[in-house]
Amino acid sequence: MSGSDEAPRILSYRAALREALIEELERDPTVFVMGQDVGPFGGVFGVTKGLTEMFGKSRVFDTPISENLIVGGGVGAALAGARPVVELQYADFALIAMDEILNKAAKWRYMHGGGQSVPLVIRAPEGILGGLGPEHSQSLAQYFWGAFGLKVAMPATPADAKGMLKAAIRDDDPVLFLENKSLYNRRGPVPTGDYVTPLGVAATPRRGKDVTIVAWSRMVSVSLQAAETLAAEGIEAEVIDPRGVRPLDLNAILESIDRTGHLIVVHEGPVTGGLAGELIAQVVEKRFNSLKAAPVRVAGLDAYVPQNIELEPLLTPDANAVVEAVRRTLARQPG
Amino acid sequence: MPMTEDQLLKAYRIMERSILVEQAILRFIEDGSSRVLLHSGRGQEAIGTGACAALRDDDMLFYSHRGVTQLLAKGVDLEALLGDFLGRVGGATGGLGAGIVHAVDASKGLMGSSGTLGGGFVMSAGAALGAQRLGDDRVTLHIFGEGSANRGTFHESANAAALWKLPMIWLCENNGYSVSVPHREATSVEDVADRAKAYGMPSKIIDGQDVEAVHDAVAEAVERARGGGGPTLIEAKTLRIRGHYEGDPQTYRSKDEIAQARLKDPQKLVAERLISRGRTEADLADLRAAELALVEAAAARALVSPKPGAERLYEGLLAPRSAA
Repeated sequence: MSGSDEAPRILSYRAALREALIEELERDPTVFVMGQDVGPFGGVFGVTKGLTEMFGKSRVFDTPISENLIVGGGVGAALAGARPVVELQYADFALIAMDEILNKAAKWRYMHGGGQSVPLVIRAPEGILGGLGPEHSQSLAQYFWGAFGLKVAMPATPADAKGMLKAAIRDDDPVLFLENKSLYNRRGPVPTGDYVTPLGVAATPRRGKDVTIVAWSRMVSVSLQAAETLAAEGIEAEVIDPRGVRPLDLNAILESIDRTGHLIVVHEGPVTGGLAGELIAQVVEKRFNSLKAAPVRVAGLDAYVPQNIELEPLLTPDANAVVEAVRRTLARQPG
Repeated sequence: MPMTEDQLLKAYRIMERSILVEQAILRFIEDGSSRVLLHSGRGQEAIGTGACAALRDDDMLFYSHRGVTQLLAKGVDLEALLGDFLGRVGGATGGLGAGIVHAVDASKGLMGSSGTLGGGFVMSAGAALGAQRLGDDRVTLHIFGEGSANRGTFHESANAAALWKLPMIWLCENNGYSVSVPHREATSVEDVADRAKAYGMPSKIIDGQDVEAVHDAVAEAVERARGGGGPTLIEAKTLRIRGHYEGDPQTYRSKDEIAQARLKDPQKLVAERLISRGRTEADLADLRAAELALVEAAAARALVSPKPGAERLYEGLLAPRSAA
């Protein structure tokens, strides 16, 4: 972490992202922002509000409804020497632009012999937020475990939203930047100044000796809430936020498991084929002997997100689910 | 602006070089030097040659998978190109390639190629967008086959390119076949160029066997693009002499048709033009001999380079400064 001598202010996750964009647009004339409704309208989730007025239409502008072009055009512009920040209006639309994300952004450097950089940021709002339904609510970071030329960032706090977006824009590799929609209004301290948070370094927002809880994005605060409840029962949970999928700070997780012997993995998307499975595989391969019980997945149900807002909370884990999982896994402890 | 005699001489040499490179690759396939996948551009050499003659070094090229001539015309290093086909460390991709060439060279504006057909439309539009937003006057040329114009990416890119007046030229090589499927069975219109009207984009249909026709049309489009006049779609009608790939049985077309294609060899036309301008057969024979020596020497050097080992597989996944 760098920057910041002054005291942090309280900002929303949305405002922190917007501040990062403004600072990077001011700092680097090769940065531009494009996407559907990101211009005068300010983005469906308001992150780019006022930016066209501040920086002009040539640097912050609307695109047609053309997801292949938004991502692929961003890759091409990056190859030409720009640092584009493109917005997919919903992360679900990454599925439309998968050829551009996986075959172009992620592979261009590699398949062309390593001589070209693709300094592109793809911002994409993911997750469940109030009745948006099956095609506008998904958490799909798990699809990118195997995108070896891509970085995948998932900020969980306003401070990380700012610091990680600035790092992503400065990175020479393409970064898929997954913002959880339910966090946009979340408020928290954000350092002032040129605050940059390196990608691929896990955060440990709570230390504990009894169990390791690895959680991504919105599930970080859910897990911290669970840890409070557990603390009242005398169980000290350590909460680790990998801050993304690629690169993965596996060492931070392994080091924690060496101390606790227990692993709970929490994420919003469906449990099957989800983020937890691959992480647990990596942990078990490396630390089978450190584990005192089988790792546990606490994740979304294996179903699609319905449009019915009243059903939404039934789909994803809450703090109680995490608490229950911790109690169960500790009860299984041998001896 | 018509081609100068020097430009025509260079075109003749580039075509000869391309023919010889493909022959060398076929020889490598025969003698087992390397397991190469070649999509021959034999018969289509006038297009890349004429088009690149109208570009500056710093103009950007996204080439097609049938692109040996295109790469050579834009100035790819010959040894690097051959080394790539041979899968050698000294090749353009450091040994990762062996067929669908992915050579890049920023100093020559060689930007690369999409492995998925039609994947290049959004990329080339993006490069043009990048140059436009950076405020420089580079133009982008994208050469593609007519079959790939049926991808949705064509529509998204054409709309945006015309809307934003992107400095780019789309050059369609219409050789009549989408792999094995004849044009009329895959495409709703006879001329891909007709589609330009739907985007308010100027277009032109040209004889893709005529290097001067290609050059003139591209030069006009480059001038328009560089002057802020936006994109142009050029459709070059051409003929594929060999199969889609080496080993393609070509059961979908007649031997007569292939023989007809050979009669319209674009290099022969350049030779006629040069002779009509006073060059002799002996002059041309000298040029061919010089190219042969060049290609043979480069091939010999390329073959000396080692094949990559397993360690190569992990190299270049991420940028050097951020790679773990």
